[in-house]
Amino acid sequence: MIACVAVVGHQNNPLYIQSFTEADDALKLHHIVHCSLDVVDERVNNPKKSGPTLNETFLGLLYPTENYKVYGYLTNTKVKFILVTTDLDVRDADVRNVSVTISFKC
Amino acid sequence: MGREVSESCVDSLLTEIVSTYNNRFYANKPELAARRIEAIGYQVGHQLSERYTMERPRFSDHLEAIKFICKDFWSELFKKQIDNLKTNHRGTFVLQDNRFRWLSRISTDPSVENTESQDPSAAAESKASLATMHVYFPCGIIRGALSNLGIPCAVSADISNLPACKELLLSYSVLSFYDI
Repeated sequence: MIACVAVVGHQNNPLYIQSFTEADDALKLHHIVHCSLDVVDERVNNPKKSGPTLNETFLGLLYPTENYKVYGYLTNTKVKFILVTTDLDVRDADVRNVSVTISFKC
Repeated sequence: MGREVSESCVDSLLTEIVSTYNNRFYANKPELAARRIEAIGYQVGHQLSERYTMERPRFSDHLEAIKFICKDFWSELFKKQIDNLKTNHRGTFVLQDNRFRWLSRISTDPSVENTESQDPSAAAESKASLATMHVYFPCGIIRGALSNLGIPCAVSADISNLPACKELLLSYSVLSFYDI
């Protein structure tokens, strides 16, 4: 279940944040998205040279928190898509497809 | 992303932009008209670059981004690639297109040349000034596209041989690196 989708511009300015949970924890989700921006910057600046992921748009699992997993997708124009999901056994390929679909629809 | 427009409509729109801004909005101020047209091009380039880089892997450096402009971006806009790319490795790039699509229909008007044959330099100058107005919009597009890809720069165009067009790109970020 996707808990939150965020679109963040290239100066880390929020463009769109939408949370999909009924509970009143939108602020916590905003904090999680904010923390994940640092992880995105770190991934971009210190690429893991061993992997083939140097120029990949989909950044994969950024970090897991206690209830959520956070995935990131970075476009060429430095626009970031952050997905916060509550599923415990979600596959990378599914999230990748979702990110690509979101970016195509924009 | 499947909606299309006929090319003649785009051509008419571009000529009309230039003529309206020059003759109606900023009637005696060609610099202001030029700046406004370039700003419109900047917005268009900004959004087009977002759309055309969607499914591609990210660029590793400035040269990759410039090559993208020369190949994919140019063929999306003008149905051909840049004919020649030169650089001085210090932040300046020259893109040369030998038959720039948006300028290929500009008439050189030989009747004007015959009557004013005693003043050929003036005729050549008026031809050049007409064409320079038409070139601000593509310069703006390139500047917008590059700044969206993270490369702030200045773009100017040289149209000494008319269907050919040379754009000169000065990349400020790289220049500052070398100016230590």
